[in-house]
Amino acid sequence: MSWTWFHKLGSPKWFFQFASRWALASFWSGVVLLLVGVIWGLGFAPEDYQQGNSFRIIYIHVPAAILAQSCYLGLGIAGFVFLVWQMKMAPVFIKSVAPLGALAAVIALLSGAIWGKPTWGTWWVWDARLTSVLVLFLLYMGVIAIQNSLEDKVLADKAVAVISVVGLINLPIIKYSVEWWNTLHQPATFKLTEAPAMPIEMWLPLLISSLGLYLFIAGLAMLRMKTEVLNRERRSGWVKDEVLKSGV
Amino acid sequence: MHSSVSLKVSNLWVERSERYLCKDMSFFLSSGDIAKINGENGAGKSSLLKILVGILRPLEGNIHYNNEDVSVYRDLLQKDLLYIGHDSGVKSVFTVAENLRWYFPDANDDEISLALDAVSLSGYEETPSNQLSAGQKRRISLARLWLTEKPLWVLDEPFTALDIKGVASLEKHMKEHVEKNGMIILTTHQDIDPSLNLKEINLSL
Amino acid sequence: MTYMSFIKGELLTLLRRKQDTVNALVFFLMVVTLFPLGVSPSPDFLSVAAGGIIWCAASLAILMSVESMFKEDFNDGCLEQWLVSGLSLPLLILLKTFIHWLVVIAPLLVMAPLLSEMLFLPSETFSVLLITLILGTPALFLIGTIGAALTVSLRHGAVLMLLIIIPFYLPVIIFSTGAIRAAQNSMMYDGQIAILAAISLVFLVVSPVMSAISIKASIN
Repeated sequence: MSWTWFHKLGSPKWFFQFASRWALASFWSGVVLLLVGVIWGLGFAPEDYQQGNSFRIIYIHVPAAILAQSCYLGLGIAGFVFLVWQMKMAPVFIKSVAPLGALAAVIALLSGAIWGKPTWGTWWVWDARLTSVLVLFLLYMGVIAIQNSLEDKVLADKAVAVISVVGLINLPIIKYSVEWWNTLHQPATFKLTEAPAMPIEMWLPLLISSLGLYLFIAGLAMLRMKTEVLNRERRSGWVKDEVLKSGV
Repeated sequence: MHSSVSLKVSNLWVERSERYLCKDMSFFLSSGDIAKINGENGAGKSSLLKILVGILRPLEGNIHYNNEDVSVYRDLLQKDLLYIGHDSGVKSVFTVAENLRWYFPDANDDEISLALDAVSLSGYEETPSNQLSAGQKRRISLARLWLTEKPLWVLDEPFTALDIKGVASLEKHMKEHVEKNGMIILTTHQDIDPSLNLKEINLSL
Repeated sequence: MTYMSFIKGELLTLLRRKQDTVNALVFFLMVVTLFPLGVSPSPDFLSVAAGGIIWCAASLAILMSVESMFKEDFNDGCLEQWLVSGLSLPLLILLKTFIHWLVVIAPLLVMAPLLSEMLFLPSETFSVLLITLILGTPALFLIGTIGAALTVSLRHGAVLMLLIIIPFYLPVIIFSTGAIRAAQNSMMYDGQIAILAAISLVFLVVSPVMSAISIKASIN
């Protein structure tokens, strides 16, 4: 297997050119898919026979919750890559993606609360998924806090990598413990995502909106990473060339 | 008498907080050498020492100690090393003697009082270090030089806390050390006895 | 410096600084006191909540005592001396963590019978509380070490360290209190105990390495 792609990925210059080509495309196709998925899901998908219309929030809630988790997985992997191979792009990734992951967690929490009101009669229930998203949000805030508190750039990069890796190791334990804890304390009658045999008209829009949110966030992440790369590599020759080329 | 040692630094690039401290630096030292790192204030003399002893990492470059490559792991070099940095490495909860025993658990009372004599701290053995001034704490760490068997000394500004008599005594001790095949790398602002035969390493771009 | 002189030094430091350990224990006692005063002193409530109260208080007290673990070594230059000593940095960190754990956990265990009596913990579950404390607190110390190492160069790093570390403490607290509750309901609890031990073992491997990376990055 050839490893050139791996080394290319580590090169800020290569990444910048890659992101310049794909960031906006990813962003806008994400917006389109998200709109299609959400409108389809909210307006046209059939009602749930138990929960009625209020189940439709899953077209926002589920993609956001999954995304929040995958972003954290991404942080952990990037942290590992940085600690082992010192790849320059890894801390750029962590720094740019952590706030987006936190945002996804907030969206998941808010939509979960909005769903909870008609279903449970309260804005908040200590449901397994909601609780683990809340913990995930706290983990993101830890990463962001340490990134912003350490003034030494080199140290900040190392520190967020360490905390991401430890978080990745701990994430399955946390998830499992929260689920186990939830079964212990009278679980809610409705699980937020309990629809064992969803008909295709129900899950297809869910798939589309999930894909859309991924592309949307990937586009945003690339844009953020581009800015960060320019800032970090401002002294190198290729950045000067880029700036001259764009005629600023 | 130590067995002879050598230190070869080749093509060393050092970067600290987005600034190069040295580019492509090379030098060679062997037993009997006292090397002084020259450079302006803030030029990164202490950083260079820390890189040599393995506290910091250089951007690029190789370090060979006794012809063994220690660029990545400094273990072989640290086995022979005594390093006194800018911070004294003295614990304020310990007494003076306890501090020295932390570094040299096998030293007996006579050796410790001799070492303290040499830095004019005799009689302070049982004094808690937090009752001492910064200069006195610094001299505790210098006392380690009279207890050590290590051939390679790396000293960051060793003369600052010493009076004229202390400087002379340390210079004499250094001379004896290199005559026994030792090697010293140091930084200092003070003028040193010319008979020490300093090798100068310039830290400039 | 040798491993032996390092251990002696750590013990001596803790002995001379006993007030720090005493503070952590008093803090522990205070947090426990808050619950009867703030929520309810009724035995019905307390006997159910006792395990959780003791565990939450213990976690906070441990965070307090771990937070400044490397601060002094960092400020007086001893951390640099560890790095150049030729000894293994992860092993030194592990030794230091172990010694701190021993010094804090021993009085905590002595206080446990007193507190469980004050909180009306059913006496047959007391042994479960002790087992969870012995098997679970190593994980809390080891995780805390990573946080202490990450924030060692910050002058006011305490809040930041709490922020990073507390989420990682959740599984330990959940399984410990779960085991105590299971015992109260006369159910099996060895599963939870095994998981606690497993978490401690995982961090026994992870923590020294990660703390060493953080400490090396903090020195400049």
